[in-house]
Amino acid sequence: MVMKLPAGSTTDYIVKVDKLSVHFTKGGVFSKKILIKALDNVSLSIKNKEILGVVGESGSGKTTLGRATIGLQKPTYGNVYLKVDGKEINVGKSSLKNVNKYVQMIYQDPYSSIDPLMRVYDVLAMPLKYRKEKDVDARIEDAMRLVDLPLELLENKVFQLSGGQRQRLGIARAVVVNPRYVVADEPTTMLDASLKGEILKIIKDAREAKNISFMLITHELPIAKIISDRIAVLYLGKLVELGKSDEIIKNPLHPYSQALIDAYPKINPELKDKIKEMKVKPDVIRPEKGCVFAPRCPFAMQKCIEKEPELKEVSPNHYVACWLY
Amino acid sequence: MLLEVKNLKIYFYTKRGVIRAVDDASLNLDKGEIVGLAGESGSGKSTIGYGIMRLVPFPGRITGGQILFKGEDILKLDENTFRKNYRWKKIAMVFQGSMSGFTPVFKIKDQIIEVLKIHEWNGDYEERVKELFKMVNMDPILADKYPHELSGGQKQRAFIAMALALNPEVLIADEPTTALDVIVQENILNLLKELRKDLGISIIFITHDLALLSEVSDRDYILYAGKVMESGPSEIIFKKPRHPYTQALIDSIATLDKDMVKGIPGSMPDLSNPPTGCRFNTRCPLAKDICFKEEPKMRIYSDGDEVACWLYD
Repeated sequence: MVMKLPAGSTTDYIVKVDKLSVHFTKGGVFSKKILIKALDNVSLSIKNKEILGVVGESGSGKTTLGRATIGLQKPTYGNVYLKVDGKEINVGKSSLKNVNKYVQMIYQDPYSSIDPLMRVYDVLAMPLKYRKEKDVDARIEDAMRLVDLPLELLENKVFQLSGGQRQRLGIARAVVVNPRYVVADEPTTMLDASLKGEILKIIKDAREAKNISFMLITHELPIAKIISDRIAVLYLGKLVELGKSDEIIKNPLHPYSQALIDAYPKINPELKDKIKEMKVKPDVIRPEKGCVFAPRCPFAMQKCIEKEPELKEVSPNHYVACWLY
Repeated sequence: MLLEVKNLKIYFYTKRGVIRAVDDASLNLDKGEIVGLAGESGSGKSTIGYGIMRLVPFPGRITGGQILFKGEDILKLDENTFRKNYRWKKIAMVFQGSMSGFTPVFKIKDQIIEVLKIHEWNGDYEERVKELFKMVNMDPILADKYPHELSGGQKQRAFIAMALALNPEVLIADEPTTALDVIVQENILNLLKELRKDLGISIIFITHDLALLSEVSDRDYILYAGKVMESGPSEIIFKKPRHPYTQALIDSIATLDKDMVKGIPGSMPDLSNPPTGCRFNTRCPLAKDICFKEEPKMRIYSDGDEVACWLYD
């Protein structure tokens, strides 16, 4: 069966994920071996200079998806393509060295992802020297300015930086080599609210200055809404909804997206004495067949338990995998 | 007043110097009240929680102030009396990341029964565990499971059940939902509200998530660098805050109705060498001369708001 690729019919993409499945086995020594479908038949694409937000809760497969797009996770089934300078690279089948030229990653924890004993200068110089790039100093200064870090810090050791400064350095390290595509995995999660806004601004600036496409993985819906052009909602390894950010937040179609948006805290002191009605059961149950969300879904029908819905375009560029539509 | 914290000082004596993590902080908690302690990391919010439990980790020490529980200063009691009569019995705490606080090798039930035994609970242990599980809306069958057999949300509810084991009057909940998914988070929030309603328990809710806090608390204390900057009823704190820090912090919360978030430039001062004057002066957009010279005092307003800021002098 041929499925139309969500927004992938254009040639203007940098990353194309085609029917990607990543399966893991769990247990085996003390318990029965079980197959975990971390990602199951996911197709989407990221356009040039686009920021795609990938949201979902723990276990949704969002980090696995990010890692698979830069070759850190081999697909069990399906393919991931990277299209740079007119040529297409099959990420899962090429050497990491070939892929690494074009991709970078920004990690969640700025404390564990950068060697605290290195000089700031060396953190940025190392990837450039490794690639035998020229004008090392000029490019380092350029990257420092882009992430709004004072040049005086170049001689400091990483442990002397604050958490916010370290995350800026993490972004500088990713963009200093001029990648075409960057996966940012929860880049604001470890930071205080007062610092999140600055980091988002830097990511947007980097996109403009260096023509970078981003996948921004987050469990914080407002962060995804603020920064991304489109949002993909994952649930238990399935892509359940994909569309323009404003569309997804204002007019979510999938009952899971609706529940997520509904449950997200709002500044509303009037709620303090009210028990919020929970339409969706809190505990995750993974069904054997049918729609993955059916066991928790308030609208589940017989059909949902039996057969899995496919991703459908229900309004222009708004895709949802749900039998309600 | 059920619990009064007066001019509490908790200092950490490190090689780098004395870190004034909590410096002259005061707060009150009434019966049946949910009070929020909010601020960024390093503001001292968790340290106050540990202080009330008298569990401040080394090299920290409570160096000043009083903590009055129904009028009695619990800082004056010897450790044995406090452990026997107060800790977990009158004041219990759900720690940050406490869902991983269960030992993996014992059943949940046995871990709760151990608490009951140590504190010489009068009554049937098994029955009590069943009762506690019902209180936190869980099937008592789950008490027979090992921690790894439960989901994150279930473990968190089980830990809350353990905290309630001895009928405490005060529950300190330190970031009780931080590692949980939003739908589970909502469920835990509902549970805390129900416990307050059904048991009349008083809750100190410690969090960095102000949007979340606004949905649960009656009153809030906004902390910055070990000091209370503003405190007041939630309606004031979240809708008409007076302190520039509270305003900036609320502006920086990312919520779904916003198209952008403003940050607060700069970072928190080094607490081993805090700035003279107001501790927020290094980041405050409205700072004037006096803010760098003298520390502002708390001003009390008729709407219940209290603000430490020279703007309102």
